[in-house]
Amino acid sequence: MSPLLSVEDVSFTHIVENGWFQRPRKFVLSPVTFELNAGETMAIIGENGSGKSILAKLLVGAETPTSGAIYLNGQKLKYNNIKQRCLNIRMVFQHSNESLNPGITLGTILDEPLKLNTQLSPEERQEKVEQTLRLVGMLPEHQYFYRHMLSDGQKQRIAIARALILNPQIIVADEPFAALDPSVRSQTVNLIMKLQRDLGLGFIFISHNLGIVRHISDRILVMQEGNVVESGKTDVIFNWPKSEYTEKLVQSHQAMLSKN
Amino acid sequence: MALLDIKNLTLEIDGTNGWIKALDKINLTIDSGEIRALVGESGSGKSLIVRAISGALPSNWRITADRMTWKNIDLLSMNDEERRKIMRNEIAVVFQNPLKSLDPSATLEEQLLESIPGNLLDKGYFWQRAQQRRVIAAKLLHKVGIKDHKRCLKSYPHQVPDDICQKFMIATALAPNPELIIADDPTRGMEITTKAQILRLLTRLNKTKDLSILFVGHDLLAISSMATSMTVLYCGQTVESGPMDKVRKRPLHPYTKALLDSAPSFRKDLPPKSPLSSLEGTIPSLQHLPIGCRLGPRCPRAQKECVKAPEPRRIHQHYYSCHFPLHREKR
Repeated sequence: MSPLLSVEDVSFTHIVENGWFQRPRKFVLSPVTFELNAGETMAIIGENGSGKSILAKLLVGAETPTSGAIYLNGQKLKYNNIKQRCLNIRMVFQHSNESLNPGITLGTILDEPLKLNTQLSPEERQEKVEQTLRLVGMLPEHQYFYRHMLSDGQKQRIAIARALILNPQIIVADEPFAALDPSVRSQTVNLIMKLQRDLGLGFIFISHNLGIVRHISDRILVMQEGNVVESGKTDVIFNWPKSEYTEKLVQSHQAMLSKN
Repeated sequence: MALLDIKNLTLEIDGTNGWIKALDKINLTIDSGEIRALVGESGSGKSLIVRAISGALPSNWRITADRMTWKNIDLLSMNDEERRKIMRNEIAVVFQNPLKSLDPSATLEEQLLESIPGNLLDKGYFWQRAQQRRVIAAKLLHKVGIKDHKRCLKSYPHQVPDDICQKFMIATALAPNPELIIADDPTRGMEITTKAQILRLLTRLNKTKDLSILFVGHDLLAISSMATSMTVLYCGQTVESGPMDKVRKRPLHPYTKALLDSAPSFRKDLPPKSPLSSLEGTIPSLQHLPIGCRLGPRCPRAQKECVKAPEPRRIHQHYYSCHFPLHREKR
């Protein structure tokens, strides 16, 4: 069986012109290769500015890679075919607060991707919105709410609902837990794990919180300065890190734990 | 001797339906040489406490306390000038959002040089002063782990990455050699090695210079690795406070237990991918505060008595306010 998502040698170069006389700054993401099966969770960890977010953007098609290809179920994703991609790979942004439009109701926010990507009739769309709201543990009445009426956890739920509404196969999330409080965070983690079990989603997420990474991910991709330093099973990486950088990460995590 | 001693601090905000108690009878003491953690979710009033201590509250908010002293001097009855003097020389605050609390129109150099007080410079001619300041500034930046100090000092706040900005804030706070540093979520959004570095720096300062630290945040892992005692806050009420190891090993308040359980790192026996325990619902907003114990509607052990606010009780150094603490049988 072919894997759900396979990324082959995807690389990306970004050049920022710094005026006429200064050298342009360059960011290079060296070729990345990995595979993800259905129902699996992959975590991307690494420093700020190591290209984690760029990789996430490349996967959802917000940026075009310089070279390489992404295959979904063995089928190559084309860069001009946005529809095929956004039906299958959806993104949850880091700041759920800023990624929701404050001027329209949540129902409209959730309705938009359906309007743009499907041929459903208004009634069917309405039903789908209600169904998705229930799926993430909210009430159908919430569709008449605006962003400011919700708490942080609910906003995160709506962000996840927006990602789920097109029945995607993969969700890519950029630091979905960073801005959340502990109790809301464990609620969200539980929600994602439940959805993954029920729907067989592939889930790729970026996080700094190694505790959560260790808890929910099957595989880890460690990045540093645009290079993939290491990748493999969570167990293996945490117990037998190969590269120096990963070792440092794991050690500082362990050091914090063992001090008490 | 307690450096900072706060008893029954109450802060009221003028809402549309009368006064709202944003902080309700907060007790907090910081001894010299202590690292105290103040833990709570966002909206629990952590930052309000920080602002109340630093005196950065709007004048139309009502603030009352039985006791709020800094080295036995009352902070509330003090005039603005004296308060500023203490805030300048003895207490330093690292505010939560570095980008918002730094001046966007001045370079980082100007802002750091400004925060170095004149008494730290050794006596020299006036033209040597500026140079001395610059040397101190570079040293401070190296201390917090910014290697490329020249480039950092030249830039404006929006030009440097978030974590550098955060480290810079810590450097400015350390500049006047304070006795107490109040760090409001200093490691937010940092990657783990940088976080460990900052925590090591703070612990080292605490050991070598006897600096007291009030560490505010909700990163339990970071907190438990460095703090000596901890105060847990929920919705403007102190829920539990005591020595770190006691609170961690045997939490008495249901909220503290829920908080500790929600961090998967603390539970080694937890099988991967199993659901984490969490409280239902979210923290109530200030407009809709429940009466009595504010955890009431979310608390798994809540009973009829919980509509009355519980008095703080204690076992040795360990204070808690709950009618049905975890070490008693559930009725």
